[in-house]
Amino acid sequence: MSQDLKLSMRGLVKRFGGVTALDAVDFEVRRGEVMALVGDNGAGKSTLIKTLAGAHQPDGGRIELDGREVHFATPQDAWSRGVATIFQELALAGKMTVADNIFLGREIIRPVAGVPFLDRRAMQRRSRELLDELDVEIPDIQIWVEYLSGGQRQGVAIARALNIDADLIVMDEPTAALAVAEVRKVLGFIKTLRAQGKSVILISHNIQDVFEVADRITVLRRGRNAGLVDTAAATPEDVVGLITGASVARRTADATP
Amino acid sequence: MVALIAICVVFASQSEFFLTERNLTTVLRNSVDLAVVCAGMTIIIILGGIDVSVGGIVAVSAVFIGRAYQLGMPDWVIVPVGLAVGAMLGAINGYIIAKSRVPPIVATLGTMYIYIAVLFLVIGGVWISGLPGTLSFLVLGEFAGLPAGIWIIGGVYGACYLLLRHMPWGQRVVAVGCDEASARLVGIRVDRTKIQAYALLGLLAGFAAVLYVARLRNVEVNIGTNIALEAIAATILGGANIRGGVGSLIGTLLGVIFIKLTQNGLVLIGVSSLWETVIIGGLLITVLVLDALEGRRTA
Repeated sequence: MSQDLKLSMRGLVKRFGGVTALDAVDFEVRRGEVMALVGDNGAGKSTLIKTLAGAHQPDGGRIELDGREVHFATPQDAWSRGVATIFQELALAGKMTVADNIFLGREIIRPVAGVPFLDRRAMQRRSRELLDELDVEIPDIQIWVEYLSGGQRQGVAIARALNIDADLIVMDEPTAALAVAEVRKVLGFIKTLRAQGKSVILISHNIQDVFEVADRITVLRRGRNAGLVDTAAATPEDVVGLITGASVARRTADATP
Repeated sequence: MVALIAICVVFASQSEFFLTERNLTTVLRNSVDLAVVCAGMTIIIILGGIDVSVGGIVAVSAVFIGRAYQLGMPDWVIVPVGLAVGAMLGAINGYIIAKSRVPPIVATLGTMYIYIAVLFLVIGGVWISGLPGTLSFLVLGEFAGLPAGIWIIGGVYGACYLLLRHMPWGQRVVAVGCDEASARLVGIRVDRTKIQAYALLGLLAGFAAVLYVARLRNVEVNIGTNIALEAIAATILGGANIRGGVGSLIGTLLGVIFIKLTQNGLVLIGVSSLWETVIIGGLLITVLVLDALEGRRTA
């Protein structure tokens, strides 16, 4: 069973001054699985993924990737180990083309007399392939990213993650602030990723979206694990109960005779 | 571009001398040093930075060149000395900006005062003059029937264009200019890119100093006074966005030609050169206001 685990975080602790943001949290993702991470504001979701992305250093606990312990000192460490976190800001350069963004920081070079010239044609061809695989519709990949819709930008950010051969893709509220049709598109991207055998962590406030694409759901509440459920075996009401703590209260009430 | 044609028409109608080959060659010769600096300034503004100390860099480089001449050094030593001094001062700017996170305008304002002080310490308030004209061909000469200035501008702009648009380094510059945090996230070494870009501007300022000394064969006390402001004005008039990410080398070159033709034309039609600054200042504000309005519309 543990061979199936892409990512395993055990007993993760993170403190900010006197505040314990993560209190011995366990979190895991299987290969080819979409794991949703839900919880109220301040539940610790952001702290957890920032720790995974290398932006925060944990004060305790263990992170294993493919069964081997890892330490991410910087976001680049995480990227180079195939963990691509797509934050809400997406980290795209608005005034560069789609293809230039996908290859930013790892351009294809064709040296002419030892001078490293960009191979724009190869970068455009590969970008087109990546976007087609994901089913992202961008008619012209030579336009600036800032002219794209929110859903298209998500597509570009995911294509960039695929270009670095990321196999664990973390998406922070990808559907927030998107129009309905765009949300469909982004959820479609996530399903495509799973079909390609990638692992996806989806952070979302939208329980409906979570139920549409996630295989399992991890619920955090006030920096602790509040539940881990199979989407197929749960109802949205159950999950909302776990998020707000209502079902915990009910369970404790049941336990006291 | 429209403004460029407009002023040409106006000046040509007011002065028969304006459109003569001799006058235009003179304008070109006077533009070469500014144009060279402006190529670097365009890259810095695309990077999201600014450098108001370039005049100081030109001045200090020129002083080193002048002193080297006085020590009887040959050209093949003097030119690299000028370039190296410029690149070093530029790298100092870049280092301060990258490591201290002080806004570039403040950091370079500080170094400008220091560089000007160096100029006065070395030169002691007296012109270095009567330097040999062994390098004058760089500005006054002709190659293959075209004035040397065209070759120099063409070479510098061609090289900068390839660097900026067709090599990974240029991608890094644009990415940093768009959003530093994003650039850092994809693994771009932002600090290093900044230091390199400011050093490149310094190198070009050093080259401008070589051209300046080659042309005038002296080093004045007030050398480089206007060059920073003219360079920034030309770059912005040429379409670069002061918030970074956007800029055009060709546009900047048109901006330089515009500024220099305005200066020249106003002198020819006998208008006080004070008006030159009014015209350039007014246009600059127009461009920035239009830019801000557009920014508000897309936001």
